[in-house]
Amino acid sequence: MRHEQIETNSALMLVLILLVISVGGLVEIVPLFYINETIEKVDGVRPYTPLEIRGRDIYVREGCYLCHSQQIRPFRDEWLRYGHYSLAAESQYDHPFQWGSKRTGPDLARLGGKYSNHWHVQHLVAPRSVVPQSIMPNYPWLLDNDLDYTDVDGRMRALRVTGVPYSVTQAEYDANVQKYGQAIADQLDITKAQDSLLKQAREKDFDGFPGRITEMEALVAYLQVLGTMVDFTQYNEGYFVEFR
Amino acid sequence: MALSSVLPAEQYNYGIVRKFTIMAMVWAVIGMSVGVYIASELAWPFLNFDIPALTFGRLRPVHTTLVIFGFGGSALFATSYYIVQRTCQARLAFPWLAEFTFWGWSGGVALGALTYVLGITQGREYAEFEWPLDIAITLVWVSYIVVYVETIRRRSQPHIYVANWFFMAFLLAVALLHIFNNLAIPVSLTKSYSLFAGVQDAMTQWWYGHNAVGFFLTAAFLGMMYYFVPKQAGRPVYSYRLSIIHFWALIFLYMWAGGHHLHWTALPDWVSTLSAAFSVLLLMPSWGGMINGIMTLSGAWDKLRSDPIMLFLITSLSFYGMSTFEGPLMSLKSVNALSHYTDWTIGHVHSGALGWVALVSFGSFYHLIPRLWDTRMYSQPLIYIHFWLATIGIVLYITSMWVAGIGQGLMLRSFDDYGNLAYTFIETVEFMHTPYIWRALGGAFFVAGVLVMVYNMYMTIQSTRREQAAIEAKLAAKLAKA
Amino acid sequence: MFDWLMWFTHMENSKPLALAIFLGAFCGILIYVLTGKQRAQRLESYKYIPFDDDELHPPDRSPAKRHSQSRNGDGQ
Repeated sequence: MRHEQIETNSALMLVLILLVISVGGLVEIVPLFYINETIEKVDGVRPYTPLEIRGRDIYVREGCYLCHSQQIRPFRDEWLRYGHYSLAAESQYDHPFQWGSKRTGPDLARLGGKYSNHWHVQHLVAPRSVVPQSIMPNYPWLLDNDLDYTDVDGRMRALRVTGVPYSVTQAEYDANVQKYGQAIADQLDITKAQDSLLKQAREKDFDGFPGRITEMEALVAYLQVLGTMVDFTQYNEGYFVEFR
Repeated sequence: MALSSVLPAEQYNYGIVRKFTIMAMVWAVIGMSVGVYIASELAWPFLNFDIPALTFGRLRPVHTTLVIFGFGGSALFATSYYIVQRTCQARLAFPWLAEFTFWGWSGGVALGALTYVLGITQGREYAEFEWPLDIAITLVWVSYIVVYVETIRRRSQPHIYVANWFFMAFLLAVALLHIFNNLAIPVSLTKSYSLFAGVQDAMTQWWYGHNAVGFFLTAAFLGMMYYFVPKQAGRPVYSYRLSIIHFWALIFLYMWAGGHHLHWTALPDWVSTLSAAFSVLLLMPSWGGMINGIMTLSGAWDKLRSDPIMLFLITSLSFYGMSTFEGPLMSLKSVNALSHYTDWTIGHVHSGALGWVALVSFGSFYHLIPRLWDTRMYSQPLIYIHFWLATIGIVLYITSMWVAGIGQGLMLRSFDDYGNLAYTFIETVEFMHTPYIWRALGGAFFVAGVLVMVYNMYMTIQSTRREQAAIEAKLAAKLAKA
Repeated sequence: MFDWLMWFTHMENSKPLALAIFLGAFCGILIYVLTGKQRAQRLESYKYIPFDDDELHPPDRSPAKRHSQSRNGDGQ
């Protein structure tokens, strides 16, 4: 075949281009959905609660991922600074993933539990009042805005379509009880979404204002759960290497 | 040359090319100014002013979208519509559909920027448009493909010229990437959740992200280069055979390289190793294109002394060569361990985006504008001034980002004598303050150059209007006498 | 006799196989494009396409005679 045949036939050229550009993606992406070792088998990773979902939405809305990563790499300095390297299993319910690509600020993959709720509220409203050299913007409106949680069940339904095990039927609920225990299964129940959101907010009071449910409430709830789901003391060091 | 008796302005549809050219410059000014602003926010955080719409997190997608899709996209629409007509010697097909691509694209980009400022985003880098805009963009893109391919089918030239191969690959690849990366389940008009999660989502996103660079910002701009460099130099491209090899190699290899954005993450090792290998291989076709462009001038190097447009085009190819060497280097796992998550990446992107994409577009526009408006550029010295402002800006930008990026990377991984971390994270933030100021200054230089170009362009177009008005007045006077 | 064909059916051999195919295709293209004097001349003649429209001073295209002749022959 002469190259002229391609050059003088636009349809043939389009078909060949399409074939040539399809190979790379097919070979590298499709297997990720079928190879079992892509995601490690670990206990503890659960879908986000209604309040945490709303917090995550705010995290996405404000573009936090543009300055903070959520992916710890297996290096000594990152281990000392942030903790155990991130597992694929830990972001298996993250739609979209928020691994990030730039650390203008530190990694947040294991932020949960490192600081108090009060610190987070103070830091988000006025970062330089707790870290003088910080270049993070102030987010005072998180405390001013009341959280809109009226459509949280709609959000959970959409996530359910993508494969996150939020329950609608009794059978799904029972399966969640089996897998995560009753307390968590209740929070993953779409039919009780708003109630469990209010319950979590009132019990934990993340924003320090017992009477109100602000956007800060949801965001801090999300930040406090980051990286806390897997209990790494259960596994010996060699276990995760098998999956890499 | 059967049609040579007809003026090109009448033979071809230049109206649509003019519109996209002007729009490209509008987006350049807005998008790059936003870039300077957010760069300043990183140096002086008070600039966030506690206003949600002005925070770095919301403005950064505005910057990337306006510059990549607004400026870069409009420049590609303009030049591809021009090139396909001139190399096929056929008028643009479906003028109304081409008109739709203009309003659809400009409207989509504007709405995108507006929604980001309001906090409506998919949270996927370089693909932040929410799903209704994604669908609108898909429609515009399909129209673009229809107009473009139908124009090629109507060619009065048996061969399809190289520039058009690159544009065809760009059209198909961007359609493919856009559709698969934006698969999502909507909650409402303004919110959706991506269909994939975690590691699969990450790989899909960076397959998209890297090939947005590969096809939007590289292949398509190579198409631009393959027409305007030979035309401006008045001599054919160095080697047609080299262009065959590097075209097929480039579009094949690029699609494998996305995983290098996810080195050392939870992505399986085999994918990231494969991506790194293909990224290194990519050096060859990339440099094939650079050599083909630069060597077009071999034997006529003196043009660099007399022609500022040639200066733009050849410098852009040099930056292309530099950043396509830096890219494979940074895709090596050991280098990436240091460079990833730091400003080195930002500097690398800008040596490509400012040095290659923007300079080759400016050069092509300086060639294009006199032909579109059938006149001469208002001022030749202003083109030189633009060139030097742009070059100084780029050099300031990338050197300050090398300092910030490599500096932060080294600080984060250094230990004291007892094996403890030598620096806290915030100490690296403090260290980056000075390079951040230099970076903002570099950006400001670049924007100043763009403003000079806009002025030059405005005066050029104004003068043709004045000339036309004068001719019409003379005609009217003659008619009145008769 | 045909036992060696079984090698292709093993999944673990897919990587070297793919490598061989891609490398073969690449070498094939290289050989096709870079060899043959006539072919080279023919291919190089197409680089004058951008100058085929309304230029007043077209560049010297001495090596490209074949291209313009064949176009006239096709009745373009």
